[in-house]
Amino acid sequence: MSEAGGNAGAAHNQASSAVRLTAIRIRLNGSAVADDVPPRLSLADFLRERRNLTGTHLGCEHGVCGACTVLVDGEPARSCLMLACACDEREVETIEGFAGDPVIDALRRTFHQHHALQCGYCTPAMLITARDLILRQRAGSAREIRDGLAGNICRCTGYTNIVTAIAEAARELRRGAANAQ
Amino acid sequence: MKAPAVDYVRPGSLAEAIDLLAKSQDEARVIAGGQSLVAMMNLRVAVPRLLIDIARLPELTAVADDTEAVTLGACVTHAAIEDARIADPSRGLMPKVASGLAYRAIRNRGTIGGSLALSDPAAEWPGVLTALDAEAMLCGPTGRRSLKCAEFTTGIFETRLGPDEIVESIRIRKLSPEARWGYVKLCRKSGEFASALAVVVCDRALGYWRVVLGAANGAPLVLESASRVVSEGAMGQLQEAVRDDLDRAADRHFDEFQLNLHTVVAMRAAQQALS
Amino acid sequence: MPNDAYGVGASLLRKEDNRHLHGRGQFVADVKLPGTVDVAFVRSPHAHARIRSISVPPEARGHVFTAVDLPRVTPIRVVSHSTGAKSPPWPPLATDKVRYVGEAIAACVAPSRGEAEDLAAAVTVDFEVLEPVIDPVRDMRGSRHPVHEHWGDNLYIEHALQAGDVGAAARAAEVTLTREFRMQRQSGAPLECRGVLAYRDHRLDEVVLYASTQTPHTLRVALGEILGLEERRIRVVAPDVGGGFGPKARLYPEEIILAALALELDRPVRWIEDRGEHLLATAHTRDHHYKATVYADRQGRILGLDAEIVVDAGAYGLWPQGPYHEAGMVARALPGPYMIPNYRARHYTVATNKTPLGPYRGVGRPGACFVVERLVDEIARAVGREPNEVRTLNLVRPEQMPFTTISGMRLDSGDYGASVKLCAELLDLPAIRARQLQGEPDRRLLGIGFAAFAEQTAHGAAEFAARGASIIPGFESCTARVLSDGSVVLMVGIQSHGQGLETVLSQVAAEELGIDPACISVRHGDTESTAFGFGTFASRSMVMSGGAVARASRMLRDKLCRIGAHLLQCEVAQAHCADGMVVGPRGAVPIAEIAKVAHLRMDGLPQGVDPLLDATATYEPAISTGVFSYATHGAVVAVDADTGFIELLDYAVAEDCGTMVNPMLVEGQIRGGVVQGIGTALFEEIPYDEGGQPLAGTLADYLMPGAAEMPAIKIGHLHTPTPHTEYGMKGMGEGGAVAPPAAIANAVRDALFSVGAEVNETPLTPRRIMAAIRKAGEAHVRT
Repeated sequence: MSEAGGNAGAAHNQASSAVRLTAIRIRLNGSAVADDVPPRLSLADFLRERRNLTGTHLGCEHGVCGACTVLVDGEPARSCLMLACACDEREVETIEGFAGDPVIDALRRTFHQHHALQCGYCTPAMLITARDLILRQRAGSAREIRDGLAGNICRCTGYTNIVTAIAEAARELRRGAANAQ
Repeated sequence: MKAPAVDYVRPGSLAEAIDLLAKSQDEARVIAGGQSLVAMMNLRVAVPRLLIDIARLPELTAVADDTEAVTLGACVTHAAIEDARIADPSRGLMPKVASGLAYRAIRNRGTIGGSLALSDPAAEWPGVLTALDAEAMLCGPTGRRSLKCAEFTTGIFETRLGPDEIVESIRIRKLSPEARWGYVKLCRKSGEFASALAVVVCDRALGYWRVVLGAANGAPLVLESASRVVSEGAMGQLQEAVRDDLDRAADRHFDEFQLNLHTVVAMRAAQQALS
Repeated sequence: MPNDAYGVGASLLRKEDNRHLHGRGQFVADVKLPGTVDVAFVRSPHAHARIRSISVPPEARGHVFTAVDLPRVTPIRVVSHSTGAKSPPWPPLATDKVRYVGEAIAACVAPSRGEAEDLAAAVTVDFEVLEPVIDPVRDMRGSRHPVHEHWGDNLYIEHALQAGDVGAAARAAEVTLTREFRMQRQSGAPLECRGVLAYRDHRLDEVVLYASTQTPHTLRVALGEILGLEERRIRVVAPDVGGGFGPKARLYPEEIILAALALELDRPVRWIEDRGEHLLATAHTRDHHYKATVYADRQGRILGLDAEIVVDAGAYGLWPQGPYHEAGMVARALPGPYMIPNYRARHYTVATNKTPLGPYRGVGRPGACFVVERLVDEIARAVGREPNEVRTLNLVRPEQMPFTTISGMRLDSGDYGASVKLCAELLDLPAIRARQLQGEPDRRLLGIGFAAFAEQTAHGAAEFAARGASIIPGFESCTARVLSDGSVVLMVGIQSHGQGLETVLSQVAAEELGIDPACISVRHGDTESTAFGFGTFASRSMVMSGGAVARASRMLRDKLCRIGAHLLQCEVAQAHCADGMVVGPRGAVPIAEIAKVAHLRMDGLPQGVDPLLDATATYEPAISTGVFSYATHGAVVAVDADTGFIELLDYAVAEDCGTMVNPMLVEGQIRGGVVQGIGTALFEEIPYDEGGQPLAGTLADYLMPGAAEMPAIKIGHLHTPTPHTEYGMKGMGEGGAVAPPAAIANAVRDALFSVGAEVNETPLTPRRIMAAIRKAGEAHVRT
C-alpha cells in the first residue's frame, strides 16, 4: 500500500488511486531541495517526515496553536496549513536554519537568560514569531509583544518571561544598530 | 488529523483555472491562501478531489487604483492590507480590520477573496465589505459579472458564487476625506473569530450611511433602521432602531445574550463613527 | 566558582534550553526508525452504544486490528482498597460496548498517518445506540441505561466525613450562607499531545516503547500486567515530553495497543495523537458540582462548613489510581488553610458517558479553593467587612503550627496571614479601592479579589495508603555515579518534562559534592538506565527526587572522602568535598584523580574500600502525609457589564514553598501554573450536549490563554523552610494553578457587587456573567 498506488480509504478510494505525485523545488534553509510529494502532504509533514527537520512541531494542525510556524518567502506561516506542493518555488526557513542570524541569536540568548521556555515544544515557533515582531518593529512595548504573540500558545511559561526576553532582545538589537551608526 | 488524498494543479492563468474548475464537476476546490480550506481538509470537513491553486495568478494579486475606487485582486493577503502595502480606499478601516484578523502567520497567507468566497459567518471581511458597499467581480466560463458584497453572501458558508466561478477581484469605492467609520469586534481571545462584530460607515459627501453586523448566524446583517438613524444623526433613537432591526431578523434565532451583544457593538461602532 | 553560584538557592540557567532553542529537542514524533508504520484509531462517535458488528472492507484486512485480533491484550483494571469502590474493566479496544465519544474500537496501520486515517474512515461499525448518562447529579443513583450495566447505579464510590458538630454550628450561626458551585470539564492540553512509538528489539529480546508520558516506570508495570510480559522484556522511554500537567501520568489504551501491535507486526509502529483526539481521548479534568453551606458569627468567624461534592468522573477509571481520589481530595482540601471547628462533607464520584477524568495540575484543590474562598468572600459581604479581614481572621496562625485541620490535613509551617498581607501589597489594595470610588473612564467595573490556600505536596506512603491506593508512590530513587574522569551522572527514576529537573537536580548534587553542575549529567525517563521511580506529579519531584539525589550524592561524597583522605594521608573526618576536590588539612586532591583511582588504578584505594563510585538511594520525607506550601493569589479585573467581557488587569502571587533550590525555576512554575489556572477561570471548557457529544473538538472551540490576554504576573516570596525535608524544600509545581479561579471569581464578584451579581461557575464566560447580572436584576425587581 502506498500513497501513489491507491489505498483502502472509503470515500477516497477512487480519488486516492488517481492521485499523482507533484514535483516540487524548494529553497530550504538556503539549499535547493527537490522532491515528489503527494498533494495532501502538509509543509509541516514534508519538513518533519521527509527532511527530518523535526524542530517544527505540530500542536493542533488547524492553525491555532502556532507551534508549526516557519518562514515562507521570509514571512511567518503555519506549516500545518500549507501544502508542500503549494510551496514549489518558494523559500522556506525553519529553526534549523537561521545560521548567523543576529536576531535569532539574540533571542536564543535572552530566552535562555530569562527562562522563557520550559518543555520547549512551542519554542522554535516562538523564536521565529518573535524575530518577525522585532524585524517589523512590533516589539516596542510589552503590550505590542503580547498582541504579536497572540497566535503562539505556550502552555508552560505563562508568557511573562517570553515577553521579557523578546523585549530585551529588541532593546539589545536597537542598541547594536544605534552603535553601528 | 491529516488531509484526505487529493489532486493538485497550479494553472498559469485565470482562464485556465476557470476551465479546470468547469471541467471538475463540483469535485474541485479553488485554493488561494488555504488558511481555512487546509484546516477544513485536515479536519476532513472538506474533502475535495482536486485543488486548483490560484494564489500566485498575477490577475488575482493585482491592485488597481482609479479616481473612484480601489480594486483588490482576490488573492491580496490580509497582511498586505494590514501593512497598507496597497492602496487603502477605506481611510484606515480595512487595515484596522486586517490587523485583528486571526494571527499574523495566517494573515501572511490568507486572502480577502478567499475569506469572501468562504463566507464563514464569524469572519470579518463579508461584513466589512458589505459596510463599504463593495462589489465582487466574479469570473466564470461565460464571462464576468459583478455583484454587491451585500448580496454575495446568502447564509452560513453560502454565497451566490457559481460552482464554476472564481472571485477575481473586489472593487471598493473610496471613502471621501470627511468619511467616518466605526469598527467593534468582540472576541474572547485575540485573533479568534468574533462573538459579535459591527461596522458603521458614514460618508456624508457620498450620501452613504450603513450599519452592518457580522457574526450574525448567517450573512452579514445590514441594519436598515439603524443606518437611517445614523444618517439623521439621531443617536438618541439608535438603540431602539437597532432593536427593531434585530426583531425583524427573527430568522437568525438570536438568543437574549446575542441580542444584547449585537446591540452593544452596533451602538459602540456608531458612537465611534460619529464621535 | 563558589558553591552559592550553582548549589541550592542559585538561579542557575537551564541545561535543557540549548537543544530546544535550536530545534534539537527529541519528542516522540521526532524519533525516526526505518520501516515505521503509522497508526490511526477508529473511535466511537456515540456516547453510549452496543457494538453489534465491526466491518472491515476486504482490501483493508490485515491492516485493521480490533480486540479479537489482539488476544494477548487484557482489560485495564484498577484496584482500589477503598470500601465500596467499584472498578469496571476497560478493554483497550472496545468489545461489546462503547461508553464515551472517542473510545478506541480498532487500530488501523498504514505507511503514513494520512493513509491510516483513510483506513479508519473505511471501517464501519454497527451500533445500537443507548441513552447516555450525562448528568451526574441526576443520574448517580441509576438511569435507564447505567454506564456499567451490572452496577445498577452509576456510582464509582461515595463517602462521607464528619468532624465536630455541624448541627451545633448551624444553631449558633449568625450568618448562614448556602451556595452552589460548578467547575466545568476541561482538558489538560499540553502543547504536545500524547504519542507512542513501539518496536521489538530482537538483540535484547524486549519491546521498546517511546511514549510521551510522565511515568515511564509505572507504565512498564502496567504493560507487563496487561500484556502478560515480564518487565525485563519491556523498556519504556520518555524522551523530551512537551508538557504533561497530569494527564500524561496515567496509562492509556493506545500505549497498550501500540506495544501489542509491535509484537504482532514485528515492525516499528507509531501513533501520534492529534489535537482532536487529545480533546476526546486524553483524560479530561475538573468537572465538579458543589453545594455548600457555611456558618459564621457576625465578625465573620467560620463556625462550620457542610458540603456535598459530586465529581463527574466519566466512563472508566484510569490506571493506576482510578477515579477514586479526586472527590476525597476535594473533601479534605475544602477547609483549606482555615480554622473551621465543625465540618461535614459527603462526596460522590459518578460514572457518566464522557471521557474518563484524570489528574490535572492541582487535581481537587482548585475546586476546593474556589468553594471555600468564594464563601469567605460572601461571609465578608454578609458581615460588611473587607474580605481579607475575614480571611485573616480565620486563617491558621503561625504559632498554631503544626496544625491539623478539621479534615485531618497536618499543616506543617508558615505564616498564612503574611501571604495575604503581602499579596494585597503587591496589588496595592488601597489604591484599587480608591480607584473604584472614582469609577473607570470607560464605565467598566473594577474589581479586586484574593484567594488563599495551603497545598499538600510531596505526599507519600501514609497519604496514598489512606486513600486506598493499590500503587503507593512513596519514594523516588537516584543512582549517582562518578565516572573515571570525575564527571558525574545522576540516573533518576523521576521524569522531567519542562520543570528543569536536569538543571535543578544537578544543583543538588553540586551542593553535596562541591562539583560544578556543568560536569553533571542527569538521566531520566528511561527504565533501562534508571532505578524504579514513580514519575512527576503531585508536586513531588524536587522533594522526593531531590532528596534521593542528596542522599546518593552524600553516599558518594563519603566514599570520595575516604579515598581522598587516604591519598592525602589524613583522617576521613578531616576531609571534605569542595571546588571539585577532596580537601584535607594539608592539601587537596581533585575528584578526577580519586575517580581514576576508583576505576583505573585500584592500587591507590585504601584497604577495605571497593572500586567504583556508584551509589543508589531512595528518599521519602520523614512525614509522608505531605508538606504544605501556601500562597495568596490576587487579581484585579475590569468587567464590561454591558457585554460580560472581563479583562484581567493585574495578578499577584505571594507564596512560600520553603527553601527554593532554584528561585528562577520556582517562579517559572508559579507563572505557568497561574496561567493554566486563569484558563480554568476564564476560558477552558468542554461542554457536552444532551446526547453526550463533546462540543469542543478543536482549539477554535477550546480556548487556551494567549499572551495577549495575560497580565505580567507579580510574585512575592515568604521563606519558611519545613523541618521535614532535605534543605527545607516544599513541593510547589501545582500551586500556581490552584487559586486563580477563586481569586478571579472573587475579583469579578467585587466588580459586580454594585449590581448585586455573584459568579459561582467556571469558566466565567461573558454569557455566564450576563446571566448573573440578569439574575441579580430580577432578584432586585422581586425585592
